[in-house]
Amino acid sequence: MNIVTSTSEAVPSPAGAQDAEGALTIRARGVSKRYQSFVALHPLDLDIRRGEVFCLLGPNGSGKSTFIRMLAGYLTPSSGSISVCGHNVVTDGLEARRLIGYVPERVPLYNFMRVGEFLRFAARLRGVQEQNVGREVARVVELLALDDVVRKPIRTLSRGYRQRTALAQALVHDPDILILDEPTNGLDPRQIMETRALIRTLAGRCTILMSSHILSEVEKTAHRVGLLLNGKLLGVRAIAETPNLEAWFLSVT
Amino acid sequence: MRILGVLLRKELEATFTSPVGYTIIAVFLLVLGYTFSLTLVATRVANLNYIFHQIYVLAILLVPAATMRVFAEERSTDTLELLLTSPVHELAIVIAKFLATLALILGMIGGSIVYAAILGIYGDPDWGPIYSGYLALVLLGAFLVSIGIFMSSLTENQVVAAALTLGTALMLWYADSVSGMLPAPFDSLALNLSLIGHFHAMATGSVFLSDIGYFVTMTLLALFLTVRRLEAR
Repeated sequence: MNIVTSTSEAVPSPAGAQDAEGALTIRARGVSKRYQSFVALHPLDLDIRRGEVFCLLGPNGSGKSTFIRMLAGYLTPSSGSISVCGHNVVTDGLEARRLIGYVPERVPLYNFMRVGEFLRFAARLRGVQEQNVGREVARVVELLALDDVVRKPIRTLSRGYRQRTALAQALVHDPDILILDEPTNGLDPRQIMETRALIRTLAGRCTILMSSHILSEVEKTAHRVGLLLNGKLLGVRAIAETPNLEAWFLSVT
Repeated sequence: MRILGVLLRKELEATFTSPVGYTIIAVFLLVLGYTFSLTLVATRVANLNYIFHQIYVLAILLVPAATMRVFAEERSTDTLELLLTSPVHELAIVIAKFLATLALILGMIGGSIVYAAILGIYGDPDWGPIYSGYLALVLLGAFLVSIGIFMSSLTENQVVAAALTLGTALMLWYADSVSGMLPAPFDSLALNLSLIGHFHAMATGSVFLSDIGYFVTMTLLALFLTVRRLEAR
């Protein structure tokens, strides 16, 4: 069964594509992460607009996951600040996290739960009102085509269904921002296409920040791309204005 | 409160669907039944003092097995990342885990009530020391669980978490023995930290606020440190 997605290959344009500050969803200023003498992320500034699909591109160990984990509230920045729709992720963390749906690189699932039970747990955890829990769970089950496995124990799921369940838990509270850390990692080609199609479907409805180390994936899913290397943000480009992403990548690195 | 309820339900399910919990209860009841029978046959005295001290030793040995997975497992399976990136305060996560694990330990200790019932049916026990003994066991259980949860928050290796909990409990157990070798004021500090010193009085029927204060303070301190540990990320 296919995930309910857009059939168009084009990524819908962001709703608030103008540069006005009100259209910004994510605003990072001087954000860095340091572990003793090791600098995982050098100070970076980044603005991501409402409805945009933004991809952090870079090889493994470049600092993508570090930035994403700080944005999601899992890590605390060593310096600088990140705000989500005006809420600082450190000082106003609860409000910021309420607006975010997050899928880490290694999907976090409770193997002792069934899929439906896990999604209900995630919905309640994210503050969905009790009377709406059933409706929201049904929505993401349909969106991610999880009907066949909704009563199955999570420990019995295939890799693809585990990834879909993790996506469903991130979407169950209808977040303003969806953060996907290497969303197609370890998936087979069909599952990769389905995940890309889902991202295209969600583009415009919510702001999406994803990370990848695959150039073709970035070209097919993102509006803008930020290139990270050795913990430094080397540049940000709009995909539409970068006909040859590979050439830009090679010129910058 | 609603979030705490959601987390507590999840923790109870995790605790009681794991074979570890049932294994701990089974081992506890098996060993205790054996020692209770031997003690009763040997002494023919209707009190549970000896049993309470048996439970004290068993709790120190078994609670680390119950608490080792609490945070270590969440860390190793990355589900801790799911919890900490949700709009949930760290305190709610810690309290839910503490209450769920304490429920398991109280269930384990509760199994020994059958021995009090046997004494009540076939003998004429002094109920005061039995009540205070159970109060001591509840406080001891809460204290050991809080220490175990804190140790589990420090590592993703369950065996390391269990070893740290056991080591800490044993050091506190023997603190009064060490006190005689220490200069002032460390001797009185070690004496006041002694786990058995505070447990023994209550288990034998003498309830002092200082003993209750010790267990409550140490439990709250361990839970506070766990919350701080989760916040420092």
